Amino acid sequence: MKELELYEPRIVAFFCHWCSYGAADLAGVSRMEYPASFRAVRIPCTGRMSPKFILHALRQGADGIWVSGCHPGDCHYGTGNYHSRRRLELFKDMLEYIGIEKDRIHFSWISSAEAEKFQQMAITVVESVRKLGPNTKLVKDLCNDCIPPVPTCNYMNECYEDLEALDAAAGRRS
Amino acid sequence: MQHKILSKDSLAEFIEALRKDYTVYAPKRDKKVPNKMVWKVLEADETPTFEFVNTDMSPKDFVFPQSECMMRFKAEGKDAMVLKPVEQDTEQRVLLNVRPCDGKGLSFMDMIFCQDEQTNDVYWRDKRERTVMIGLACNSPCPSCFCLEANCGPHHEVGLDILMVDLGVQLLLKPLTERGKAIAASLPDASAADVKAAQTKRQQAEAAMKKTIDTQHVEQRSLMELYNLPYWERVCETCINCGTCTFVCPTCHCFDIQDEVPASGGNGRRVRNWDFCMAPLFTLHTSGHNPRGKKIARVRQRFMHKYKYIPMKRDGEVGCVGCGRCVRLCPVNIDIRDVINAMNAPDTATEGQEV
Amino acid sequence: MMKTRTEAIRAAARRLLEAGKVDAVIGYMQGTIPLRAQPFIAYTPEDCDKLIWSSFCGGNLATIASGRKDRVAVVAQGCVSRNLNGLVHEKRINRDNLYIIGVPCIGMLDQRKVEAKLMGRNIELLKNDPEEDLGEITVSGCNAVRECFVEVIKRRDVKRDNCYTCMHRNPVGADEVVTEPVSETAGGDINAVATPWARFETDRRWEEFTKNFEDCIRCYACRDVCPLCYCTTCFVDESNPQWCGKTQDPADVQTFHILRAFHCAGRCTDCGACESACPQGIKMRRLTSMLEKDVRAKWNHEPGMDCETKPPLSTYRPDDPEDHFK
Repeated sequence: MKELELYEPRIVAFFCHWCSYGAADLAGVSRMEYPASFRAVRIPCTGRMSPKFILHALRQGADGIWVSGCHPGDCHYGTGNYHSRRRLELFKDMLEYIGIEKDRIHFSWISSAEAEKFQQMAITVVESVRKLGPNTKLVKDLCNDCIPPVPTCNYMNECYEDLEALDAAAGRRS
Repeated sequence: MQHKILSKDSLAEFIEALRKDYTVYAPKRDKKVPNKMVWKVLEADETPTFEFVNTDMSPKDFVFPQSECMMRFKAEGKDAMVLKPVEQDTEQRVLLNVRPCDGKGLSFMDMIFCQDEQTNDVYWRDKRERTVMIGLACNSPCPSCFCLEANCGPHHEVGLDILMVDLGVQLLLKPLTERGKAIAASLPDASAADVKAAQTKRQQAEAAMKKTIDTQHVEQRSLMELYNLPYWERVCETCINCGTCTFVCPTCHCFDIQDEVPASGGNGRRVRNWDFCMAPLFTLHTSGHNPRGKKIARVRQRFMHKYKYIPMKRDGEVGCVGCGRCVRLCPVNIDIRDVINAMNAPDTATEGQEV
Repeated sequence: MMKTRTEAIRAAARRLLEAGKVDAVIGYMQGTIPLRAQPFIAYTPEDCDKLIWSSFCGGNLATIASGRKDRVAVVAQGCVSRNLNGLVHEKRINRDNLYIIGVPCIGMLDQRKVEAKLMGRNIELLKNDPEEDLGEITVSGCNAVRECFVEVIKRRDVKRDNCYTCMHRNPVGADEVVTEPVSETAGGDINAVATPWARFETDRRWEEFTKNFEDCIRCYACRDVCPLCYCTTCFVDESNPQWCGKTQDPADVQTFHILRAFHCAGRCTDCGACESACPQGIKMRRLTSMLEKDVRAKWNHEPGMDCETKPPLSTYRPDDPEDHFK
């Protein structure tokens, strides 16, 4: 349990340029405190969101995902978030169904004026992902030799210490 | 070499002895899918089954894994591009009850992977040398098998260390290599009657196989004549260009090599994966040109390769062992036998058979 | 083959080709080994004598019709006709160039289930293929020493999984229907059968999902037989970035199946061709059925019931459910 407390989750966040990214900016200039454990990716609109992005993040070892956009009805491009709403609702249902913990994936509507909501959401997202521990599901592990049975690394970082350590771990071969 | 006899009552003992030096694999019933045989480790208290036709996937995966890390490298820093090959595994293994068609398949691929001093695939060779093949002859071939017409047969010996024939309560063992001889050395010698019984089984199996293909004219016809047959239009229109036939085939060996480097940079690895000539991008050049961009070209290529290009290049050796997996597993039931007959004599080829 | 349907299909096809109403008829002919049917394209009235209908027409002919520029007639049962409607909407087929020869369907059989009943004995002949759902098929064969068998099997015991819960056995939007309609549903409850992993908790679900796809060999037979998958460049071939690796790493295999299922969401008619095509016998419908059930529940949509309705992921309503959004 002590290990879990020391672990810092790595979360990838997708914010739409017009609303949620603006809210993040506003929270910043207002000197609001929120955990820094997510990496923000700016997209023009949540309509740009594709399940490919979420999977890409999980495959590289992301522990959590957060997507945030304009409120429905207020999309800068009119209907982008209506489309993403259907897409993301279905995709999260699917990820839950296959066994990805529901608290790893978060979606929100945050307008550019809602810095407080942004702050609250940031805390909620980071803490709920932290409680779940590191994600090992869907992670593409380059450490294994591809020949089953394949032992896997728990953390992406561990794999790339140096080549000698890599080869010395004879337990990597079946 | 001297034939040996092994009673099925003593089979467990024989396998135990093998297990001291080797990991023993055998075809087993898949737990998830009815009527599917898969290659699995034979555990300590398990006896192999003799009641099966063949596995759906050929055992080529043991020697030519579907995905294999070839080497690792460092792409950055002062030691950039340091390449280190992946050390090979050391497991010695026995494939028990492998069918003669699969034995021949591996032997065929030996010819491709280890051709001469300059073309000698260390990844293939190393695993091949660590794999002992104890074959089980087919006593009851199935409607999709045509090994006898593909330079192979239900009791074929090429590629195996030992050929076993199931005589009911006993197995007749014929050692074919020094390694096979050493393994069978402790078994009692077979009697002449046992050998005769095995021969009868062979004759019965071969007699039960109906003649389904004709290839004499394929050999005589010129390459361009076959290449330009209008028949390819018909075959290609229902082919869905998946990789089923190539992946289950014991002689198909095409692969793709890719480097995988984490997006954040750092150490990467070079991986070899199976690839299939049916894939639309299989022959895509970096220039953007694709010599086999059209489906007809890809479909034609597979059959021409197996039954014309390889025989031309390899002194009449055919690129097929007649195991029939592609016939059984093709999602649209494209039958290689129909295609060969059409290549042989397009006017008289029959499509499909009346039931 | 099923005699009545076969003769009616042949007659319809012949009539259409003779009258010059279509350039080709896409149907099935007898497979080269027992328990198979081969997709076949008839271009002349004489070709039509080869057309059949049987309990093993397990592919999806909409895949072959898709993208063609000539005038085609397609022999289609319920699920396939709905795919054709969907493809018309997606502009893969021009409705004016399409003639649907509808076939009321009593369900396809799964050849693996039939073979499992015979346990190792080689089937040489399918002697009887009845046209009643509650009927029995007869298979027979002999081994090398002429020990022969004849086995009678109930159709209901060996049907393909999706056919037990089919909701539309009669063709939808067909230009003609070759026999009397059958009862519209097969009797099973699709909503009860879909989402088999939903009853487990998170880690068990992951285990089931992993196990389900661990035998996948990435042959793409499922994708290539599916009428919905017609992208010129499939996402698996996209390399910059490479969303889905080409290796057999479980993460790569799982990514492929997740994304493919998602791309078909809201358009899939549960035809079962993917499971029939899979050489490894993978039950991918355990994943796809969940998406289709969700589509029904969230947006009340059944794919392919006409050529006009938009697939649910290409449209929206302002009051759509948003349970996952804060």
